[in-house]
Amino acid sequence: MIDQRDEFISEAQEIIEGLSRDLLALDAALKRAGGGHPDTDPDVVNDAFRAVHTLKGLSSLFGVARMSTLSHHLEDLLDDLRLGRSEITAKVLDVLFRAVDVYNLLLVALRAGEPEPQREVDALLAALGAATSSAGGAAASPLGDYDLDPGLLGVLTEYEEHRLRTNLQQGVGLFRIRARFELATIDTGLDDLKARAKPHGEIITYLPSGEGGDADAIELDVLLASRQTTDVLRSVLSGPGLSIDAVSRRGAHPQLSEPPPTVLGEPARLTTPPSAPEEPMRAIPARARDAREAGDPVGGGAAPGRDEDAVALEGPSGLTIRGVAQTVRVDIRKLDHLMNIVAELAIVRSALGRITDRVRGLPELRDLGMELHRLHRSLDRHLGDMQGGILEVRMVPLGQVFDKLARVVRQISREHDKDINLVITGAETEVDKLIVEELSDPLMHMIRNAIDHGIEPLDARRQRGKPDTGTIALNAYQKGNHVVIEVQDDGAGIDEERVLATAQRRGLVTPEESRNLLPREILGFIFLPGFSTKDGASELSGRGVGMDVVKTNIGRLGGVVDVQSELGIGTKMTVTLPITLAIISALVVVVGGRRYALPLASVLEALMFDPFAVRTIEGREVTSLRGQTLALCRLEALFGLARPEGTSPPARQFVVVIGVGSQRLGCVVDSLIGQQDIVIKALGKSLQGVRGFTGATELGDQNVGLVIDAPAIVEEMLVPSEAGRLVGQRRLGAAGGEAS
Amino acid sequence: MSRRADPVARRGALARRAVERGARTEFLAFRMAEEIYAVPISYVKEILKLPPLTEVPRAPADVMGVISVRGRIVTVRDLRKRLRLAESPSTRRSRILLAELPAEQGGSGERVGLFVDEVLHVYRLAEEEVESAANVLGSELAEYVAGIGRQQGEMIILIDLRPILGSASGKGAALPPALAAAKGAD
Repeated sequence: MIDQRDEFISEAQEIIEGLSRDLLALDAALKRAGGGHPDTDPDVVNDAFRAVHTLKGLSSLFGVARMSTLSHHLEDLLDDLRLGRSEITAKVLDVLFRAVDVYNLLLVALRAGEPEPQREVDALLAALGAATSSAGGAAASPLGDYDLDPGLLGVLTEYEEHRLRTNLQQGVGLFRIRARFELATIDTGLDDLKARAKPHGEIITYLPSGEGGDADAIELDVLLASRQTTDVLRSVLSGPGLSIDAVSRRGAHPQLSEPPPTVLGEPARLTTPPSAPEEPMRAIPARARDAREAGDPVGGGAAPGRDEDAVALEGPSGLTIRGVAQTVRVDIRKLDHLMNIVAELAIVRSALGRITDRVRGLPELRDLGMELHRLHRSLDRHLGDMQGGILEVRMVPLGQVFDKLARVVRQISREHDKDINLVITGAETEVDKLIVEELSDPLMHMIRNAIDHGIEPLDARRQRGKPDTGTIALNAYQKGNHVVIEVQDDGAGIDEERVLATAQRRGLVTPEESRNLLPREILGFIFLPGFSTKDGASELSGRGVGMDVVKTNIGRLGGVVDVQSELGIGTKMTVTLPITLAIISALVVVVGGRRYALPLASVLEALMFDPFAVRTIEGREVTSLRGQTLALCRLEALFGLARPEGTSPPARQFVVVIGVGSQRLGCVVDSLIGQQDIVIKALGKSLQGVRGFTGATELGDQNVGLVIDAPAIVEEMLVPSEAGRLVGQRRLGAAGGEAS
Repeated sequence: MSRRADPVARRGALARRAVERGARTEFLAFRMAEEIYAVPISYVKEILKLPPLTEVPRAPADVMGVISVRGRIVTVRDLRKRLRLAESPSTRRSRILLAELPAEQGGSGERVGLFVDEVLHVYRLAEEEVESAANVLGSELAEYVAGIGRQQGEMIILIDLRPILGSASGKGAALPPALAAAKGAD
């Protein structure tokens, strides 16, 4: 039962995300049109309608009454939109966007086992009522002017008729394509035709021509609305048994009778074989309407109501049959499990390698040894491929989270009455699924900050000679083994002076210390916990609200946040993340007799440690590397390791230089063991508060090695100057009673 | 559950006799320092011999380290530290109990290793054989003790795993009937 609920939640989530994307597309079309008639893609409106319809069926099947009621009303609204009975306006979209949020609230409540949020749902239902009641009628169109078979017009569904009218109103030409399809291949044939026709127009409907068919084939009349000429269409759609004619206008005006509703089922049955994927698509609106007319009890309690919705559910699931065949939704834990198996296989592989080497060393088994060697190499290669394959499966495009952000931008900018243009690049950049999940909150926070406090009010922008519309750029790109995400605004920028003043007032830094701070170190203060309390927020116009949380969350993913800002010009936040959390190359080192793994992504170089080159500056050990000062970190001391009895540090130690962002730190280690691909496993919840490690990994023979969290160590040692540690000390002091 | 418990249970004649007496809660008894402790066996998923332990710098004092159990990293905690018992070095008999408190019983859902000096056997205790801990022990340790079990003249300290394996909001969560009666206060 719990599994079923999870399944429902994840399926619903997916549908809602799709719905949100559709709405964003509609919003974009609306913006493009300015005040004029939006050229919305009918497929998108349809998609949104189907999404809500599917949600209705699903939620009532699972007894989520409020979601079902909500979907039911939304469906009405979307049905009106797609049939052109009402206009798509910004106001209507507001309501629909709100619906997405309420859906998400419902899912959150459901997951947590809490009662459904009634207030939000009721408020939305009221708004929906207002939106639907203001629906206007579609203008009459010159359908009768065309030389169309009345029989054909008679069997158009309401939706098809609407599309036909819309196209004709916009002056699009009408064509009749007569095509012959083999019954055995009609599905693919029709799809192919549709795919080829799509760039040039819209297929309104298709019906059997009633001629030219035989036992193995059927001839269809396809009605296509297109701005192309007949010749162009003939050239792009040419094929055997296919003819194209323009439907001409004629003078006469025979009244178009309303399509008799009873006709609908029959030709549909004739038109397409039962397995054709189009059948349910055409049938849904009809069924949905029927269900509604029948009173469709959405309370979810009564058995007949459930049955009805179960029938309605069949439609959309039939629709997605092809999609399901190509994509599989997999629990990420299953992939983790596969990854673990691969890791164990890798251990078997090394053992096999050792045996192979031994066999090859025996002269009498030379041939056998060679053969074993070949097999081992092949195993090695395939195992590598498998590992790569599993990793690839975990990767999803960042677009998933960007879509959500686009919604946030729209919502907040409307709330604040700021005109904002969100420019997204690199939405196709892929990262590990787990990272994407964890990214949405921090990014949302950054975007919210950019709108709230970055982008100035209109008059301020005009004064500064900036365009009325503020721009927030969301850029993602891959850089080696990392993904970089930038959130950039052309707003007011951060005032360093005021940040510094606040930092001094909070005792984070003394006036003497502040003189030596670099601009980036000053900006770094906004990431400190406790920096942005309430009064600090208003003084700094809120910059830095919760930025410490952002930093912590990004840090947990093994990433870093950097901020650059220019007063009056804008602010850029840069998030740098590893592509995947699952497997990384690491340098295995020994510290205090224990083995640790250092992610290679953070390692710049390793060199011999020269104890005589160490200097002390302000109580910190530094050395020089190619003329530059390099801060040192004695990991053994930092970790408080006690050496196994009777051992002392080796005479020759090494320095591993790690780099995070533009900062570098030299870690002193006993020895370097070598590079190794490791699978990082999370430490248990009970160790979450422990700083300095991102996880653990198996280093063979049952031994576990901890993976050092390079950004955390760098931060602990370096960033931003003493402030971080000062805050820590003050906190401790306060907790102990009187602060010193 | 009983599959893993069986080899242990077979050793205890007590346990077999108890089976005939109807509904009871099963406890896995173990030794730490010189005392006998027990936890409800339904929380114990596995008993392991001591694998190589990797210490975790700067972890809480009762964390002995981490181990790998079939590819999963498990934190091993030292109950002796929590219960302020004498710590002797591990021996041939030392074991790690892999325990997990389900979320609906106030647990964090994390599987945690508990270090014990020796695993003894399984007790099946009826409600009336469990005595409230509040009467017996000082308040300091009472947090970790769910009750005292008495059977055949033996005294077993029943450990409440919630403060050890629980999420912070463990209060009021379901305990096995025998323990619920003993803790009373909940």
